[in-house]
Amino acid sequence: MEIIEKIKTYKSIDNQTEIQKICLDKLQSSPLPNLRSEQWRLSNKSKLSNCLDYSVYGNNSKFDMPFPENSQSTIRLIIGENCQIKLIDKNYSIQQLREDELLKYIKEQISFFNQNDNWSDLLNLSLSCKNNILGLKINGSKIPPIEIFSHASSNSLNAKTLIIFCEKNCNVELLQVNLGEDNSSLSQSTFFCLEENSSLNHGVVSYGLNKSNLLNSLNVIQQKNSEYNLGSLHFKFNYARFEIRIKQSEGNARTNIKGMQITKKDEQISTYTKIDFDGPNGFLDQINKSLADDKSHAIFEGSIIVPKIAQKTDASQLSRNLLLSNLAQIDTKPQLEIIADDVKCKHGATISQLNEEELFYMRTRGITLKEASKLQLSSYFQEIISFIPVSKDRWDLLDKLLNEN
Amino acid sequence: MVNENLVKDVVKEPYKYGFVTDIETEKIEKGLNEDVIKLISQKKEEPQFLLDFRLKAFKKWQKMKEPDWAALGYKKIDYQDIIYYSAPKQKEKISSLDEVDPKLLETFDKLGIPLTEQKKLTNVAVDAVFDSVSIATTFREELAEHGVIFCSISEAVKNHADLIEKYLGTVVPASDNYFAALNSAVFSDGSFVYIPKGVRCPMDLSSYFRINSGDSGQFERTLIIAEESSSVSYLEGCTAPMFDTNTLHAAVVELIALDDASIKYSTVQNWYAGDEEGIGGIFNFVTKRGKCLGKRSKISWSQVETGSAITWKYPSCLLLGEESVGEFYSVALTNNLQQADTGTKMIHIGPKTKSTIVSKGISAGNSKNSYRGLVKMGTKATGSRNYSQCDSMLIGDQASANTFPYIKSQQPNSEIEHEASTCRISEDQLFYLQSRGIEFEEAVSMMVSGFCRDVFNQLPMEFAAEADKLLALKLEGSVG
Repeated sequence: MEIIEKIKTYKSIDNQTEIQKICLDKLQSSPLPNLRSEQWRLSNKSKLSNCLDYSVYGNNSKFDMPFPENSQSTIRLIIGENCQIKLIDKNYSIQQLREDELLKYIKEQISFFNQNDNWSDLLNLSLSCKNNILGLKINGSKIPPIEIFSHASSNSLNAKTLIIFCEKNCNVELLQVNLGEDNSSLSQSTFFCLEENSSLNHGVVSYGLNKSNLLNSLNVIQQKNSEYNLGSLHFKFNYARFEIRIKQSEGNARTNIKGMQITKKDEQISTYTKIDFDGPNGFLDQINKSLADDKSHAIFEGSIIVPKIAQKTDASQLSRNLLLSNLAQIDTKPQLEIIADDVKCKHGATISQLNEEELFYMRTRGITLKEASKLQLSSYFQEIISFIPVSKDRWDLLDKLLNEN
Repeated sequence: MVNENLVKDVVKEPYKYGFVTDIETEKIEKGLNEDVIKLISQKKEEPQFLLDFRLKAFKKWQKMKEPDWAALGYKKIDYQDIIYYSAPKQKEKISSLDEVDPKLLETFDKLGIPLTEQKKLTNVAVDAVFDSVSIATTFREELAEHGVIFCSISEAVKNHADLIEKYLGTVVPASDNYFAALNSAVFSDGSFVYIPKGVRCPMDLSSYFRINSGDSGQFERTLIIAEESSSVSYLEGCTAPMFDTNTLHAAVVELIALDDASIKYSTVQNWYAGDEEGIGGIFNFVTKRGKCLGKRSKISWSQVETGSAITWKYPSCLLLGEESVGEFYSVALTNNLQQADTGTKMIHIGPKTKSTIVSKGISAGNSKNSYRGLVKMGTKATGSRNYSQCDSMLIGDQASANTFPYIKSQQPNSEIEHEASTCRISEDQLFYLQSRGIEFEEAVSMMVSGFCRDVFNQLPMEFAAEADKLLALKLEGSVG
C-alpha cells in the first residue's frame, strides 16, 4: 500500500489526471503484483521493494548524463523536457496526440490490463503526470530517425510514458534510450500502435549507474501487414525488468526481436515477453541473449500464444545464455501455447559458457585469454547490437559493453 | 483430401478394456480420517513405523492445498467421497496361483496379462494389482534364485521391513506434494523390487494395475532398489473399466540406484479416458521420482501415456552420484476431451551428470497436451550436460499443445540445450503416401509412429509393439 500512499500524498485527488485516478483505483486492489505468480516469482523481492522505495516527488532534474551529440538528421526528444513537437514536411508529419485522443487510447488499453501482467503499466500511469507523457502521431515516409530519451533522477522514482501511433504506410526508425542515474528508479511504459502497412524499427538501449533500477514495459499492437523490429539492450541496473507484450491483432504481420541483457555484480535483470497471434499468417523471429557474471541473476521468460484463429503462424523463439561465474545464475523459460494445427512453431534454449575449443584455438594463435574472451563476447554481442537502429554506431555500444565494466 | 466423416467414424473405436469384473469385494466406508488410515494399516497388519508414517503424511496432507498451477481444468475432487480400500474377497493366505479366484485370473487374461502357469508370459515376471491389493506375482521362485525380491509392497512390509523402513519416503517424502502426501497416508499396495549387488535381473519385471470399482481410488506405491552394479528393467501397465464417474488414481513410485546400478522403468498407461463428451475417466495424479545415488548410476524413464481423463505426471531424476545419468522418453497422446500435463524434472546435483529428455506430445480432438519440465544445474554440477527435445504434433484445429520448459543453471561449467517444435500431419505427406497406394489410416499411423520412433526405440520389445498398436488405435481417424 505504501507506494499508493506516496502517490496520494504527493498529489491530492484534485491534482490527479483522470488516467491517474483510474490507475490508482486499480492499483489499490493489488498494491503489489502477486509475487508468487509466474511473471513475478523469480523477481528479487528486496530489490523490487528497494526499487519502489524512492521518493515520487518528481525531483525532475535536468537531464545531464553524457550522451553523444545530436546529429542534424536526427530528431531528439527528451520526455519531460521538450515534448512540444509539431513537424510537418511534404513527406511526413509528426504531431502530438491531442489530449482526448490520448485519454481515449489509454482508457482502452487499461480495459485490457491484467493485474499481474500489467502491474508495471498501472504503476507507471498512476505516477506519470501530464508532462511526462509523450504521445505522437506519425505518418508519411522519409521520416528522419527519432531518438527519445527517458531518465530518472538520483534518489527518486520517475515515471515516463511514451505513446506512438504509426499511421498507415509509414516507416519509422526510433531509438529509445532509458538512463538511470545513481540510486534511481525509472518506470518507463511504452505503447505503440502500428497501423496497416506501417513498419517500425525500434531500438531500446537502457543502462544505469550505481544502484539504478528500471521497470520498462513495452506494449505493441500490430495491425495487418505491419512490421515491427525490436533490438534491445539492458545493462548496468541493480534491478531491471523488461516486459514486452506484442499483439498481432489481425495476423498477417511480422515481428522480429533481438534482445540482450547483461548482468554483473549482484544485479538482476529480467525479460518477459508475451506474443499473441490474434489472426492468421503471423510471423515471429525472436532471439534473447543473456550474460550473467559475478553474483548476478539473469531471467528470460517468453511465451508465444497461438489460438485457433492463428493458422499458418510461423514463430520461433531462441534463448541463448552465457553463464560466466560460479555464483551467477540464469533462469530461462521459453514457452509455447498452441491451439491452431497448421502452424510452424519452435523454440530453443541453451545455457553454457564461452566455447573452450574456440578459446584454445585463438590462444594457439598467440591471442591472450583475455583478448580471446573479448573476441568471443564481441561476436556474441554484435548480433544484437547490429540490430539496434539509429545511433548505434555513434553510441559505441560494443565498446561500452566490453570495456566499461 | 482428408475425409472428415472417416475421422468421426473411427474415433468411436471403443475402449476395449472397459469391462467390469463382477466379484465380491471387501470395501471400507467412503471418506478419509485417521480411523480409516488406522483401519487400512490394521487390515494389512503393518508394523508401527508404517502406521506412524501414514499418520504423519495425513497430518501434512490436511494442511496442504491441492495444486492449481498445471494447465488442467477439472471438477473439484471430493476426497470424502472416495473409498480408500477395496479388495477382492479371497482366502486368507494364497500359496499358489490355483487358489486365486478364477474370475480374477480371467480378468487379467482378458487384459492380455495371463497369470496362470501354462500361459505365463515368457521371461516377464508380473505383479498383478487389482483395486487396492496385489493378487499374484509370477516367477517368484526363479527370481529368488538370483536373490531378486519381487513381491507386493504389503508382503515386503511383512518380510523385508528393514528395507522398507530404510528406503520408503526417501525419494518422495510424504510432504513432497499434495498427491504424494495423500498416497503416503492411504497407499494400499503396489510392488517392491530389490536387486542385490552385482545382479543383472534375469527377466523383465512388470506390474499390472487394474481399477475395478467405480467409487474407489487406487493408491499404489512402488519401490525399486538397485544395489551396486545391478540392473533391472521394469514395466508398468494400467487399465480401468468404463464408468461415468471419475476415479482417482494417485500413485507414488520411488527408484533408488546405487553405484553403477541401472533401472529402466517403462510405462504404458491406458486408463479409461472418458467418453467423447468427457464423461468419466481416470484422474491420474502420479509422483514418480528416481534417485541416482551412486556413482555412474542410471535411471531411465520411458512412458507412453494414452489414457486417463486427466494426467498429472512428472517422472523425475535426482542426479546425485558423480557421472550419473537420467533419461526421460515420453509419448503422450490425448484425444477427445483428455488433458495431460506431463514432463520431467532433471535435477543435476553431482558433477559430470548427464540427462536426456525426449518428449513427444500428440493432441487430437478437443484435448489439451502440455509438456512441463525442469532442468536444473546445481552449483556443484560441474561438467554436466542436458539435452532436451520436445516435439508436439497437432491433429485437428481444436486441440492444444503447450510447452513449458523451466531451465535454471547455477553452474557455468555445464551445458543445457533445449529445443522444441510443433508440427502437424501435413496433407502433402498424406497425399504422397496415398499416391503410393498406402491407405489413409495406415499413412496416418505410419507418420505418427515415425514421429514417436525416438521414444519407441527405448521401450522394451513387448511394450514397443503394444504402444505402436495402441497409438494407431487411439488415433485412427482423428486426422481432419
